[in-house]
Amino acid sequence: MPPPLSATATRRRARAAARAFVGGALAVCLFGVLCTPAGAATGVAMSVSFQPDRLGASSALTVALRFAGSAGATPAPLSGADVHLPRGLGIDLRAAAVCAAARVRAGRCPRASLVGRGHAQLEVLAGSQTIPEQAVLSAYRGPARGGRPTLEILGVGSTPLSERTLNIGVLRPDSAPFGSVLAIAVAPIPTVVYEPDGSFDSLTLTIGGRGSAARILVPAHCPAGGFPFALDAAFSDGTSTRAGAGARCP
Amino acid sequence: MRRLARALLAALCLTAAGAASAQAAETVQITQAGFSPSTLGAPTNAFGSATIGSTEGPVPAPIEHVNVYGPAGVTLNLEGTGTCAPATLERIGPTACPANSRAGFGGGEGIYMLGGELVKEKYTLDFFLSDNRPGHVALVVFLEGHSPVSVEVVFGGSVIRGPKPYGLGFSLNVPLIKVLPEASDASATSAFVTLGAHNVAYYRNVHGRRTLFHVKGIILPKSCPRGGWPVASQFKFQDGSTVMAKRSVPCPHH
Repeated sequence: MPPPLSATATRRRARAAARAFVGGALAVCLFGVLCTPAGAATGVAMSVSFQPDRLGASSALTVALRFAGSAGATPAPLSGADVHLPRGLGIDLRAAAVCAAARVRAGRCPRASLVGRGHAQLEVLAGSQTIPEQAVLSAYRGPARGGRPTLEILGVGSTPLSERTLNIGVLRPDSAPFGSVLAIAVAPIPTVVYEPDGSFDSLTLTIGGRGSAARILVPAHCPAGGFPFALDAAFSDGTSTRAGAGARCP
Repeated sequence: MRRLARALLAALCLTAAGAASAQAAETVQITQAGFSPSTLGAPTNAFGSATIGSTEGPVPAPIEHVNVYGPAGVTLNLEGTGTCAPATLERIGPTACPANSRAGFGGGEGIYMLGGELVKEKYTLDFFLSDNRPGHVALVVFLEGHSPVSVEVVFGGSVIRGPKPYGLGFSLNVPLIKVLPEASDASATSAFVTLGAHNVAYYRNVHGRRTLFHVKGIILPKSCPRGGWPVASQFKFQDGSTVMAKRSVPCPHH
Protein backbone atom coordinates (compact mmCIF):
# COMPACT_ATOMS: atom_id res chain seq x y z
CA MET A 1 0.00 0.00 0.00
CA PRO A 2 1.31 3.46 -0.76
CA PRO A 3 2.30 5.49 2.26
CA PRO A 4 0.67 8.83 2.95
CA LEU A 5 2.35 11.52 0.96
CA SER A 6 1.74 14.12 3.58
CA ALA A 7 -0.05 14.13 6.84
CA THR A 8 0.88 17.58 7.83
CA ALA A 9 0.56 19.83 4.87
CA THR A 10 0.34 23.34 6.15
CA ARG A 11 0.54 25.32 2.96
CA ARG A 12 -1.91 28.11 2.48
CA ARG A 13 -2.82 28.67 -1.11
CA ALA A 14 -3.80 32.00 -2.43
CA ARG A 15 -7.54 32.32 -2.41
CA ALA A 16 -9.40 33.79 -5.30
CA ALA A 17 -9.93 37.41 -4.64
CA ALA A 18 -13.48 38.28 -3.79
CA ARG A 19 -15.31 39.86 -6.65
CA ALA A 20 -16.57 43.21 -5.67
CA PHE A 21 -19.92 44.21 -6.93
CA VAL A 22 -22.46 46.75 -6.05
CA GLY A 23 -25.15 45.32 -3.85
CA GLY A 24 -28.15 46.85 -2.24
CA ALA A 25 -31.83 47.23 -2.40
CA LEU A 26 -31.95 48.80 -5.83
CA ALA A 27 -34.56 47.16 -7.96
CA VAL A 28 -32.83 48.07 -11.19
CA CYS A 29 -29.19 48.85 -11.78
CA LEU A 30 -28.15 50.43 -15.00
CA PHE A 31 -25.25 50.55 -17.40
CA GLY A 32 -23.65 47.28 -16.63
CA VAL A 33 -23.22 47.62 -12.88
CA LEU A 34 -23.53 44.28 -11.17
CA CYS A 35 -26.77 44.30 -9.26
CA THR A 36 -27.68 42.33 -6.18
CA PRO A 37 -31.02 43.17 -4.64
CA ALA A 38 -31.45 42.41 -0.97
CA GLY A 39 -31.66 38.70 -0.39
CA ALA A 40 -30.04 37.75 -3.67
CA ALA A 41 -26.80 35.78 -3.64
CA THR A 42 -25.87 36.22 -7.28
CA GLY A 43 -25.32 39.57 -8.93
CA VAL A 44 -25.84 40.30 -12.60
CA ALA A 45 -24.47 42.99 -14.87
CA MET A 46 -26.03 43.62 -18.27
CA SER A 47 -24.83 45.58 -21.26
CA VAL A 48 -26.33 45.93 -24.73
CA SER A 49 -25.23 47.41 -28.03
CA PHE A 50 -26.38 47.84 -31.60
CA GLN A 51 -24.11 47.43 -34.59
CA PRO A 52 -24.63 49.61 -36.58
CA ASP A 53 -26.03 52.04 -34.07
CA ARG A 54 -28.42 54.23 -36.10
CA LEU A 55 -32.06 55.07 -35.53
CA GLY A 56 -34.28 52.91 -37.71
CA ALA A 57 -31.34 50.90 -39.07
CA SER A 58 -31.22 47.18 -39.65
CA SER A 59 -28.75 46.12 -37.02
CA ALA A 60 -27.28 43.41 -34.84
CA LEU A 61 -28.27 43.44 -31.19
CA THR A 62 -25.71 42.14 -28.70
CA VAL A 63 -26.67 41.38 -25.12
CA ALA A 64 -23.88 40.64 -22.65
CA LEU A 65 -24.41 39.35 -19.14
CA ARG A 66 -21.95 38.88 -16.33
CA PHE A 67 -22.76 36.95 -13.15
CA ALA A 68 -21.01 36.96 -9.78
CA GLY A 69 -21.71 35.13 -6.57
CA SER A 70 -21.49 37.01 -3.32
CA ALA A 71 -18.01 37.38 -1.84
CA GLY A 72 -16.44 35.74 -4.85
CA ALA A 73 -18.48 32.56 -4.62
CA THR A 74 -19.55 30.68 -7.70
CA PRO A 75 -22.80 32.16 -9.08
CA ALA A 76 -25.92 30.09 -8.55
CA PRO A 77 -27.09 28.14 -11.61
CA LEU A 78 -29.45 30.20 -13.75
CA SER A 79 -32.97 28.82 -14.08
CA GLY A 80 -34.78 31.56 -15.96
CA ALA A 81 -34.10 34.81 -17.78
CA ASP A 82 -36.61 37.40 -18.95
CA VAL A 83 -34.91 39.86 -21.27
CA HIS A 84 -36.96 43.05 -21.53
CA LEU A 85 -36.56 44.90 -24.82
CA PRO A 86 -37.34 48.55 -25.58
CA ARG A 87 -40.52 49.70 -27.25
CA GLY A 88 -40.08 50.14 -30.98
CA LEU A 89 -37.34 47.52 -31.32
CA GLY A 90 -38.10 45.40 -34.36
CA ILE A 91 -37.40 41.67 -34.24
CA ASP A 92 -38.35 40.16 -37.55
CA LEU A 93 -37.88 36.41 -37.79
CA ARG A 94 -40.09 35.90 -40.82
CA ALA A 95 -37.18 35.36 -43.16
CA ALA A 96 -35.75 32.62 -40.93
CA ALA A 97 -36.64 28.98 -41.44
CA VAL A 98 -38.25 27.20 -38.51
CA CYS A 99 -36.22 24.40 -36.92
CA ALA A 100 -37.75 21.97 -34.43
CA ALA A 101 -36.06 21.50 -31.06
CA ALA A 102 -35.15 17.89 -31.78
CA ARG A 103 -33.24 18.97 -34.87
CA VAL A 104 -31.51 21.72 -32.91
CA ARG A 105 -30.33 19.18 -30.34
CA ALA A 106 -29.08 16.94 -33.13
CA GLY A 107 -27.25 19.80 -34.78
CA ARG A 108 -29.29 19.41 -37.95
CA CYS A 109 -30.86 22.81 -38.44
CA PRO A 110 -30.54 24.54 -41.80
CA ARG A 111 -28.39 27.63 -41.88
CA ALA A 112 -31.47 29.59 -42.87
CA SER A 113 -32.85 29.06 -39.36
CA LEU A 114 -29.80 30.54 -37.62
CA VAL A 115 -30.68 33.91 -36.12
CA GLY A 116 -27.90 34.49 -33.62
CA ARG A 117 -24.57 33.42 -32.19
CA GLY A 118 -22.68 33.87 -28.99
CA HIS A 119 -20.53 32.34 -26.36
CA ALA A 120 -20.62 31.69 -22.65
CA GLN A 121 -18.21 31.05 -19.84
CA LEU A 122 -19.48 28.61 -17.25
CA GLU A 123 -18.07 27.31 -14.03
CA VAL A 124 -18.81 24.70 -11.44
CA LEU A 125 -17.54 24.33 -7.90
CA ALA A 126 -16.46 20.72 -7.55
CA GLY A 127 -14.39 19.50 -4.65
CA SER A 128 -12.23 22.48 -3.75
CA GLN A 129 -11.95 23.70 -7.30
CA THR A 130 -13.81 26.15 -9.49
CA ILE A 131 -13.73 24.52 -12.89
CA PRO A 132 -14.37 26.63 -16.00
CA GLU A 133 -15.96 25.57 -19.25
CA GLN A 134 -16.47 27.49 -22.48
CA ALA A 135 -19.63 27.08 -24.52
CA VAL A 136 -20.63 28.17 -28.00
CA LEU A 137 -24.16 29.51 -28.36
CA SER A 138 -26.30 29.29 -31.48
CA ALA A 139 -29.82 30.69 -31.68
CA TYR A 140 -32.41 29.32 -34.11
CA ARG A 141 -35.95 30.26 -34.94
CA GLY A 142 -38.24 27.74 -33.29
CA PRO A 143 -41.88 26.85 -33.86
CA ALA A 144 -44.31 29.47 -32.58
CA ARG A 145 -45.91 28.86 -29.20
CA GLY A 146 -49.41 30.21 -28.79
CA GLY A 147 -48.79 32.38 -31.80
CA ARG A 148 -45.65 33.85 -30.22
CA PRO A 149 -42.24 33.66 -31.91
CA THR A 150 -39.63 31.53 -30.21
CA LEU A 151 -35.86 31.37 -30.11
CA GLU A 152 -34.05 28.11 -29.47
CA ILE A 153 -30.66 28.78 -27.93
CA LEU A 154 -28.29 25.82 -28.13
CA GLY A 155 -25.26 25.79 -25.86
CA VAL A 156 -22.43 23.41 -26.71
CA GLY A 157 -19.58 22.91 -24.28
CA SER A 158 -16.65 20.65 -25.06
CA THR A 159 -14.24 20.37 -22.17
CA PRO A 160 -13.92 19.15 -19.47
CA LEU A 161 -17.46 17.86 -19.99
CA SER A 162 -19.00 17.47 -23.40
CA GLU A 163 -22.48 18.95 -22.98
CA ARG A 164 -25.35 20.24 -25.09
CA THR A 165 -28.23 22.17 -23.57
CA LEU A 166 -31.20 23.77 -25.28
CA ASN A 167 -33.03 26.75 -23.87
CA ILE A 168 -36.21 28.03 -25.44
CA GLY A 169 -37.29 31.64 -25.25
CA VAL A 170 -40.74 32.98 -26.10
CA LEU A 171 -41.10 36.53 -27.37
CA ARG A 172 -44.21 38.29 -26.11
CA PRO A 173 -45.47 41.83 -25.55
CA ASP A 174 -44.29 43.68 -22.45
CA SER A 175 -45.47 46.63 -20.44
CA ALA A 176 -43.97 50.12 -20.65
CA PRO A 177 -41.27 51.24 -20.85
CA PHE A 178 -40.56 48.04 -22.67
CA GLY A 179 -42.10 46.77 -25.86
CA SER A 180 -41.45 43.05 -25.66
CA VAL A 181 -39.84 40.44 -23.44
CA LEU A 182 -37.93 37.31 -24.37
CA ALA A 183 -38.81 34.83 -21.61
CA ILE A 184 -36.23 32.04 -21.50
CA ALA A 185 -36.58 28.87 -19.43
CA VAL A 186 -33.01 27.89 -18.70
CA ALA A 187 -32.31 24.17 -18.53
CA PRO A 188 -30.00 22.77 -15.85
CA ILE A 189 -26.45 22.04 -16.95
CA PRO A 190 -25.63 18.76 -15.23
CA THR A 191 -22.09 17.92 -14.17
CA VAL A 192 -21.49 14.79 -12.07
CA VAL A 193 -23.46 13.24 -9.24
CA TYR A 194 -23.16 15.17 -5.96
CA GLU A 195 -21.72 18.25 -7.60
CA PRO A 196 -23.78 21.31 -8.51
CA ASP A 197 -25.06 22.11 -11.98
CA GLY A 198 -22.98 24.43 -14.10
CA SER A 199 -23.33 28.18 -13.54
CA PHE A 200 -23.00 31.00 -16.03
CA ASP A 201 -20.09 33.28 -15.35
CA SER A 202 -20.71 35.37 -18.46
CA LEU A 203 -22.80 35.15 -21.60
CA THR A 204 -22.88 37.11 -24.84
CA LEU A 205 -25.49 36.64 -27.56
CA THR A 206 -25.87 38.57 -30.81
CA ILE A 207 -29.13 38.44 -32.75
CA GLY A 208 -29.30 39.74 -36.30
CA GLY A 209 -26.49 41.13 -38.37
CA ARG A 210 -24.28 39.34 -40.85
CA GLY A 211 -25.00 35.65 -41.24
CA SER A 212 -28.27 35.86 -39.36
CA ALA A 213 -31.68 35.19 -40.84
CA ALA A 214 -33.22 37.55 -38.29
CA ARG A 215 -33.68 41.25 -38.89
CA ILE A 216 -33.26 43.61 -35.97
CA LEU A 217 -34.49 47.17 -36.42
CA VAL A 218 -33.23 49.88 -34.10
CA PRO A 219 -36.21 51.97 -32.91
CA ALA A 220 -36.81 55.07 -34.99
CA HIS A 221 -37.00 57.26 -31.88
CA CYS A 222 -34.81 57.20 -28.82
CA PRO A 223 -36.21 58.26 -25.44
CA ALA A 224 -34.27 60.51 -23.12
CA GLY A 225 -31.81 58.33 -21.24
CA GLY A 226 -31.44 55.83 -24.03
CA PHE A 227 -33.18 52.60 -24.98
CA PRO A 228 -34.22 50.72 -21.84
CA PHE A 229 -33.26 47.05 -21.49
CA ALA A 230 -33.57 44.89 -18.41
CA LEU A 231 -33.01 41.33 -17.28
CA ASP A 232 -35.02 39.44 -14.67
CA ALA A 233 -32.84 36.50 -13.69
CA ALA A 234 -34.01 33.57 -11.57
CA PHE A 235 -31.60 31.09 -10.00
CA SER A 236 -31.85 27.52 -8.89
CA ASP A 237 -31.27 28.50 -5.26
CA GLY A 238 -34.58 30.32 -5.33
CA THR A 239 -33.16 33.83 -5.53
CA SER A 240 -33.81 36.31 -8.29
CA THR A 241 -32.51 39.66 -9.36
CA ARG A 242 -33.11 42.37 -11.93
CA ALA A 243 -30.38 44.10 -13.88
CA GLY A 244 -30.88 46.94 -16.25
CA ALA A 245 -28.95 48.41 -19.11
CA GLY A 246 -29.52 51.43 -21.24
CA ALA A 247 -28.35 51.55 -24.81
CA ARG A 248 -27.37 55.15 -25.38
CA CYS A 249 -29.11 57.00 -28.14
CA PRO A 250 -27.21 57.04 -31.42
CA MET B 1 -0.63 24.86 11.78
CA ARG B 2 -3.24 22.79 10.11
CA ARG B 3 -3.31 19.10 9.98
CA LEU B 4 -5.99 16.97 8.76
CA ALA B 5 -8.34 14.46 10.03
CA ARG B 6 -7.38 10.94 9.36
CA ALA B 7 -10.80 9.55 9.12
CA LEU B 8 -12.30 12.20 6.95
CA LEU B 9 -12.41 9.72 4.17
CA ALA B 10 -14.35 7.25 6.11
CA ALA B 11 -17.06 6.52 3.64
CA LEU B 12 -14.95 6.23 0.59
CA CYS B 13 -16.81 3.11 -0.13
CA LEU B 14 -18.38 4.93 -2.99
CA THR B 15 -19.71 1.97 -4.79
CA ALA B 16 -20.78 0.04 -1.79
CA ALA B 17 -24.14 0.31 -0.22
CA GLY B 18 -25.20 -0.99 3.11
CA ALA B 19 -22.89 -2.00 5.85
CA ALA B 20 -21.96 -4.73 8.19
CA SER B 21 -20.14 -4.31 11.40
CA ALA B 22 -17.75 -6.94 12.67
CA GLN B 23 -17.30 -6.66 16.43
CA ALA B 24 -16.44 -3.04 15.95
CA ALA B 25 -17.67 -0.01 17.74
CA GLU B 26 -17.69 1.82 14.45
CA THR B 27 -20.67 1.67 12.12
CA VAL B 28 -20.90 2.52 8.46
CA GLN B 29 -24.20 3.22 6.80
CA ILE B 30 -24.03 3.56 3.05
CA THR B 31 -26.71 6.01 2.06
CA GLN B 32 -26.32 5.87 -1.70
CA ALA B 33 -24.28 4.12 -4.35
CA GLY B 34 -24.53 3.69 -8.09
CA PHE B 35 -23.39 4.46 -11.57
CA SER B 36 -24.54 7.28 -13.81
CA PRO B 37 -25.39 6.48 -16.49
CA SER B 38 -25.96 2.82 -15.72
CA THR B 39 -25.42 1.34 -19.16
CA LEU B 40 -23.73 -1.98 -19.88
CA GLY B 41 -20.25 -1.55 -21.32
CA ALA B 42 -20.39 2.24 -21.24
CA PRO B 43 -18.30 4.94 -19.57
CA THR B 44 -19.84 6.05 -16.32
CA ASN B 45 -19.65 8.13 -13.19
CA ALA B 46 -19.34 6.04 -10.01
CA PHE B 47 -20.74 7.63 -6.91
CA GLY B 48 -21.59 6.87 -3.34
CA SER B 49 -22.17 8.39 0.06
CA ALA B 50 -22.11 7.12 3.61
CA THR B 51 -22.43 8.04 7.22
CA ILE B 52 -20.05 6.81 9.89
CA GLY B 53 -20.83 6.43 13.54
CA SER B 54 -19.83 4.69 16.71
CA THR B 55 -21.72 2.59 19.20
CA GLU B 56 -19.56 4.03 21.96
CA GLY B 57 -20.03 7.75 21.44
CA PRO B 58 -20.48 10.59 19.01
CA VAL B 59 -16.99 10.37 17.55
CA PRO B 60 -16.01 7.29 15.55
CA ALA B 61 -12.39 6.26 15.51
CA PRO B 62 -10.26 7.77 12.77
CA ILE B 63 -9.89 5.66 9.66
CA GLU B 64 -6.49 4.27 8.81
CA HIS B 65 -7.23 2.56 5.57
CA VAL B 66 -9.98 2.11 3.00
CA ASN B 67 -10.33 -0.50 0.30
CA VAL B 68 -13.14 -0.14 -2.20
CA TYR B 69 -13.98 -2.94 -4.60
CA GLY B 70 -16.04 -2.52 -7.74
CA PRO B 71 -17.79 -5.29 -9.64
CA ALA B 72 -15.86 -7.79 -11.73
CA GLY B 73 -15.72 -6.67 -15.32
CA VAL B 74 -15.26 -2.98 -14.64
CA THR B 75 -12.39 -1.65 -16.70
CA LEU B 76 -10.41 1.57 -16.87
CA ASN B 77 -9.46 3.34 -20.06
CA LEU B 78 -7.32 6.33 -19.18
CA GLU B 79 -6.17 7.23 -22.67
CA GLY B 80 -6.21 10.98 -22.97
CA THR B 81 -5.68 11.62 -19.29
CA GLY B 82 -2.76 13.35 -17.64
CA THR B 83 -1.12 13.01 -14.27
CA CYS B 84 -0.40 15.24 -11.32
CA ALA B 85 2.77 14.82 -9.32
CA PRO B 86 2.02 14.45 -5.62
CA ALA B 87 4.80 16.86 -4.74
CA THR B 88 3.26 19.46 -7.03
CA LEU B 89 -0.15 19.01 -5.50
CA GLU B 90 1.30 19.31 -2.04
CA ARG B 91 3.40 22.35 -2.87
CA ILE B 92 0.93 24.39 -4.92
CA GLY B 93 -2.48 22.80 -4.61
CA PRO B 94 -5.11 21.50 -7.04
CA THR B 95 -4.74 24.44 -9.40
CA ALA B 96 -1.30 23.12 -10.30
CA CYS B 97 -2.69 19.82 -11.53
CA PRO B 98 -3.56 19.46 -15.22
CA ALA B 99 -7.29 19.43 -15.90
CA ASN B 100 -6.99 16.04 -17.53
CA SER B 101 -5.53 14.54 -14.36
CA ARG B 102 -8.77 15.05 -12.43
CA ALA B 103 -10.32 11.74 -11.42
CA GLY B 104 -13.15 12.85 -9.18
CA PHE B 105 -14.42 14.81 -6.23
CA GLY B 106 -15.94 14.32 -2.86
CA GLY B 107 -16.53 15.73 0.56
CA GLY B 108 -18.34 15.28 3.81
CA GLU B 109 -18.22 16.24 7.43
CA GLY B 110 -15.44 15.62 9.89
CA ILE B 111 -15.49 15.75 13.67
CA TYR B 112 -12.94 16.14 16.45
CA MET B 113 -12.69 17.08 20.10
CA LEU B 114 -11.17 20.43 20.94
CA GLY B 115 -11.14 21.95 24.41
CA GLY B 116 -13.64 19.41 25.62
CA GLU B 117 -16.10 20.28 22.87
CA LEU B 118 -17.10 18.48 19.71
CA VAL B 119 -16.22 20.42 16.59
CA LYS B 120 -17.71 19.59 13.19
CA GLU B 121 -16.07 20.66 9.97
CA LYS B 122 -17.02 20.32 6.32
CA TYR B 123 -14.33 19.10 3.97
CA THR B 124 -13.85 18.55 0.26
CA LEU B 125 -11.90 15.92 -1.66
CA ASP B 126 -10.16 16.24 -5.00
CA PHE B 127 -8.93 13.08 -6.68
CA PHE B 128 -6.17 13.19 -9.29
CA LEU B 129 -4.31 10.57 -11.25
CA SER B 130 -0.68 10.44 -10.21
CA ASP B 131 0.06 7.54 -12.56
CA ASN B 132 -2.12 6.56 -15.51
CA ARG B 133 -0.14 3.66 -16.90
CA PRO B 134 -2.14 0.45 -17.17
CA GLY B 135 -1.29 -1.78 -14.24
CA HIS B 136 0.28 1.08 -12.32
CA VAL B 137 -2.64 3.43 -11.88
CA ALA B 138 -2.28 5.55 -8.77
CA LEU B 139 -4.26 8.34 -7.20
CA VAL B 140 -3.37 11.37 -5.18
CA VAL B 141 -6.01 12.97 -3.00
CA PHE B 142 -6.28 16.54 -1.78
CA LEU B 143 -8.42 16.96 1.34
CA GLU B 144 -9.37 20.46 2.40
CA GLY B 145 -11.44 22.06 5.14
CA HIS B 146 -11.95 25.75 5.83
CA SER B 147 -13.92 26.35 8.98
CA PRO B 148 -13.42 26.54 11.88
CA VAL B 149 -9.86 25.41 11.19
CA SER B 150 -8.19 25.56 7.80
CA VAL B 151 -6.76 22.18 6.95
CA GLU B 152 -5.12 20.69 3.87
CA VAL B 153 -3.72 17.21 3.44
CA VAL B 154 -2.36 15.28 0.49
CA PHE B 155 -2.22 11.52 0.47
CA GLY B 156 -2.00 8.73 -2.03
CA GLY B 157 -3.85 5.68 -3.16
CA SER B 158 -3.70 3.02 -5.79
CA VAL B 159 -5.99 1.05 -8.04
CA ILE B 160 -6.29 -2.52 -6.84
CA ARG B 161 -7.98 -5.72 -7.90
CA GLY B 162 -10.33 -7.20 -5.35
CA PRO B 163 -10.99 -10.85 -4.58
CA LYS B 164 -13.82 -12.64 -6.38
CA PRO B 165 -16.59 -11.66 -7.03
CA TYR B 166 -15.12 -8.19 -7.16
CA GLY B 167 -12.97 -6.49 -9.73
CA LEU B 168 -11.14 -3.22 -9.88
CA GLY B 169 -11.20 -0.94 -6.91
CA PHE B 170 -8.97 1.42 -5.08
CA SER B 171 -7.04 1.57 -1.86
CA LEU B 172 -6.31 4.63 0.26
CA ASN B 173 -3.98 5.08 3.20
CA VAL B 174 -5.55 7.84 5.21
CA PRO B 175 -3.00 9.70 7.31
CA LEU B 176 -3.43 10.42 10.99
CA ILE B 177 -4.03 14.12 11.37
CA LYS B 178 -4.78 16.64 14.03
CA VAL B 179 -6.25 19.93 12.94
CA LEU B 180 -4.56 21.48 15.95
CA PRO B 181 -2.01 20.01 18.35
CA GLU B 182 -4.49 20.09 21.21
CA ALA B 183 -7.32 18.56 19.16
CA SER B 184 -8.14 14.89 18.97
CA ASP B 185 -7.41 12.99 15.82
CA ALA B 186 -10.16 13.88 13.41
CA SER B 187 -12.80 11.42 12.31
CA ALA B 188 -15.43 11.48 9.61
CA THR B 189 -19.15 11.30 10.19
CA SER B 190 -20.11 11.49 6.54
CA ALA B 191 -18.52 11.29 3.13
CA PHE B 192 -19.43 11.29 -0.51
CA VAL B 193 -17.36 10.50 -3.57
CA THR B 194 -17.95 10.85 -7.29
CA LEU B 195 -15.40 9.46 -9.74
CA GLY B 196 -15.24 9.65 -13.51
CA ALA B 197 -17.91 10.84 -15.93
CA HIS B 198 -19.36 9.57 -19.17
CA ASN B 199 -18.75 12.78 -21.10
CA VAL B 200 -15.23 13.87 -20.21
CA ALA B 201 -13.28 15.38 -23.08
CA TYR B 202 -10.03 17.30 -23.46
CA TYR B 203 -8.24 18.95 -26.33
CA ARG B 204 -4.90 17.57 -27.35
CA ASN B 205 -2.57 18.10 -30.25
CA VAL B 206 -2.63 15.39 -32.90
CA HIS B 207 -0.20 15.98 -35.75
CA GLY B 208 -0.22 19.67 -34.95
CA ARG B 209 -4.00 19.93 -34.84
CA ARG B 210 -6.02 20.69 -31.72
CA THR B 211 -8.36 17.75 -31.42
CA LEU B 212 -11.07 17.04 -28.89
CA PHE B 213 -10.49 13.66 -27.30
CA HIS B 214 -13.14 11.86 -25.26
CA VAL B 215 -11.84 10.06 -22.18
CA LYS B 216 -13.66 6.85 -21.33
CA GLY B 217 -12.43 6.49 -17.77
CA ILE B 218 -14.50 4.01 -15.74
CA ILE B 219 -16.32 1.54 -17.99
CA LEU B 220 -19.10 -0.66 -16.68
CA PRO B 221 -19.10 -4.42 -17.33
CA LYS B 222 -20.82 -5.68 -20.47
CA SER B 223 -23.01 -7.92 -18.40
CA CYS B 224 -24.73 -7.79 -15.05
CA PRO B 225 -25.21 -10.87 -12.87
CA ARG B 226 -28.58 -11.72 -11.41
CA GLY B 227 -28.87 -9.77 -8.21
CA GLY B 228 -26.84 -6.86 -9.47
CA TRP B 229 -23.22 -5.85 -9.42
CA PRO B 230 -21.48 -6.76 -6.17
CA VAL B 231 -19.47 -4.00 -4.56
CA ALA B 232 -17.75 -3.81 -1.23
CA SER B 233 -15.66 -1.61 0.96
CA GLN B 234 -13.44 -2.29 3.88
CA PHE B 235 -12.55 0.25 6.52
CA LYS B 236 -9.79 -0.18 9.02
CA PHE B 237 -10.05 2.14 11.98
CA GLN B 238 -7.36 3.45 14.26
CA ASP B 239 -8.74 1.45 17.19
CA GLY B 240 -7.90 -1.71 15.28
CA SER B 241 -11.41 -2.55 14.24
CA THR B 242 -12.41 -3.34 10.70
CA VAL B 243 -15.77 -2.85 9.07
CA MET B 244 -16.60 -4.66 5.87
CA ALA B 245 -19.61 -3.50 3.88
CA LYS B 246 -21.07 -5.48 1.01
CA ARG B 247 -23.83 -4.53 -1.30
CA SER B 248 -25.07 -4.85 -4.85
CA VAL B 249 -25.87 -2.14 -7.34
CA PRO B 250 -29.02 -2.94 -9.34
CA CYS B 251 -28.56 -3.98 -12.95
CA PRO B 252 -29.51 -1.45 -15.63
CA HIS B 253 -33.11 -1.47 -16.78
CA HIS B 254 -33.64 -2.51 -20.37
